[in-house]
Amino acid sequence: MANFLERICQAVVEGDDVSVVEYVQEALQAGESPLRILNEGLMPGADIVGKRFEEGEYFLPDLMLAGRALKAAMEILKPLLAAAAAADATLKKAKIVIATVQTDIHDIGKNIVASMLAAAGYDVIDLGVDVPLNSIIDKAEETKAEIIALSALLTTSMPYMKDLIDLLQARGLRQKYRVMVGGASVTPEWAESIGADGTGRDAVEAVRLARRLLGEA
Amino acid sequence: MRDYLELLDRAYTGEYISEENWDLEKVAATARRLVKKYRLEWDRNQVIPTDEGLIDAVFQAGLEMAIELGVYCRSTERIIHLSLQEIEEGLRTMPQSLVMGEGKDARTLYARRIGDERPPLFFGGSPGSPIPEEYFLENVLSYAQEPLIDLLTCGTLTEIGGRAVRTGQPLEIVATRRELQYLRTALSRVGRPGMGMLAAQSSVSELGDLAVAHPDLLRRCDSHLVPLLNELKLDFRNMARAVNSWEYGMINASLPCVIVGGLGGGPPGSAVINVASFIVSNLVCLADYHILHPIHIRHVATSTREVLWVISAVGQAFARNAPAIIVADIYPKSGAGTIELLYETAANAIVNSVSACHIEGCGSADGKLPHCSGLEARWMAEVALASWRRKITLEEANTWVLRLLDKYEKVFTQEGGNPGKPFDQVYDLKSLRPTVEWQALYDQVKTELKAEGLID
Repeated sequence: MANFLERICQAVVEGDDVSVVEYVQEALQAGESPLRILNEGLMPGADIVGKRFEEGEYFLPDLMLAGRALKAAMEILKPLLAAAAAADATLKKAKIVIATVQTDIHDIGKNIVASMLAAAGYDVIDLGVDVPLNSIIDKAEETKAEIIALSALLTTSMPYMKDLIDLLQARGLRQKYRVMVGGASVTPEWAESIGADGTGRDAVEAVRLARRLLGEA
Repeated sequence: MRDYLELLDRAYTGEYISEENWDLEKVAATARRLVKKYRLEWDRNQVIPTDEGLIDAVFQAGLEMAIELGVYCRSTERIIHLSLQEIEEGLRTMPQSLVMGEGKDARTLYARRIGDERPPLFFGGSPGSPIPEEYFLENVLSYAQEPLIDLLTCGTLTEIGGRAVRTGQPLEIVATRRELQYLRTALSRVGRPGMGMLAAQSSVSELGDLAVAHPDLLRRCDSHLVPLLNELKLDFRNMARAVNSWEYGMINASLPCVIVGGLGGGPPGSAVINVASFIVSNLVCLADYHILHPIHIRHVATSTREVLWVISAVGQAFARNAPAIIVADIYPKSGAGTIELLYETAANAIVNSVSACHIEGCGSADGKLPHCSGLEARWMAEVALASWRRKITLEEANTWVLRLLDKYEKVFTQEGGNPGKPFDQVYDLKSLRPTVEWQALYDQVKTELKAEGLID
């Protein structure tokens, strides 16, 4: 059985979204539990990818391909895991809505963070770039997300992060969400000044922050 | 103009592809394949490549990528393909000389060659850095007053009268117009009213850019940016900048910001994307000259080994295969008031100069903070001119840069970076001179590098 899990892990590391689906199906047919496939096949693969990216051995395409492989595998596992999660609340992974705020069309930083969060096992809903503030909040409401993650590279787009937090207040929703902010010019002091719940210097710190905000670390 | 309108048509009729598939299946996959096909490799200890075969292969791979991929229009999610004939025409018609500014202050940029007899020109300013309005003029003056600076650029106004400027909102128009007023005032005040500018840096969307196309603000002899998005993408907002310049007549500087460690993978793939970006921007950005601004995926700075290699490979690739006017900018990790800023600037100035580029800088502290001043721009020009005067070879330049890297490379792993101090703490705002401490650091590094034989 370990052989299945090793192959699944390796397929994630190689960003092979075709093989990973094949191996997951084979493992399920052989009687492997969906939870074990997730925790001992997919997640270790995601961890290896994250570490290699952090160490400079892997680059952005490797991260994106691994994210793609994870997504493909999760399409198969999700319904099976949902049944298990219904019985055990601790199995549910938090939803994170992520977007580059309106007027900012830079996506690389946001993509890296989204891929790393997905690799960490979160259910990431990526709304893309230049996203209107109300659309971000509406999607968070619709998907029952726990975290809203905002990205802005441009200094003159950063005020929109504050506007979103103000909008959450105005709509009476601020207490429902943890708001993470990030981008080249975002500092911890600035994040605090706009009432955000935190920021990270890079994607690795973003994952740590998400874990902390969700009480997982 | 008719040709450009035809390109706009292609944005509506080209092949549809999702952005994610463009990134992964087109750009990343093609970069990976071409790096393998042309056997492109880099060496951490050879930040200035000297293998002519490698340099030419980088150019060929970039050309192949441009022909094969074209450019992605994010506004319509379609590919604008460019024919071989168009690409060759674009390369053939790249300006070989370009006058910026007017009257006695005008300068002629030219397509540099490796070992060129003519010196590089210098753009002084801190492009991208958010500069408070309270000392924006003084900051710009600190660069404009430097005799070695040929052309002026600047940071970004992010507040007007205490109000935050938001991209795409009315205040962006006010901010960009005010930026130009400050620049023109600064040029008059230092007695160089005709100096050419690369400006409208406060215009993040197209709004501000359109609002300053006026002879009293951004003149026809000045330039503005027409950016490409990462990687090999553009949108209608940026195409609007190109269209407006065509009608008005100002000079276009293409700005691809290739991310080293991004979709191209390591330095070789990133250099290939950068070459392809310049080639397509001849057509889609209507580029008169190119800004060479690769950045590091984690450290941002242009002074990392990886980015220095990309700058040198791309600069040399064009100089050898299709000479173009290329301005390589300097974005050091460190900020004003730190000794490392001076080492980083020196390393970048040497690389940019020997790699056939003109030079712009410095976007100190990664261009993230107002921690920049005219003193490091003076230093940038002094070091570049010294290496040019001494006719140092690529190999000698590499040796110098490795020595400098030893002095500053620690800043990339330093907790919190090495931001230094804001402009108003390193310059006296009345006399417009560096503070005693900042001047002393500059003198110390200058003396040190003079003793080591780098500068005169």
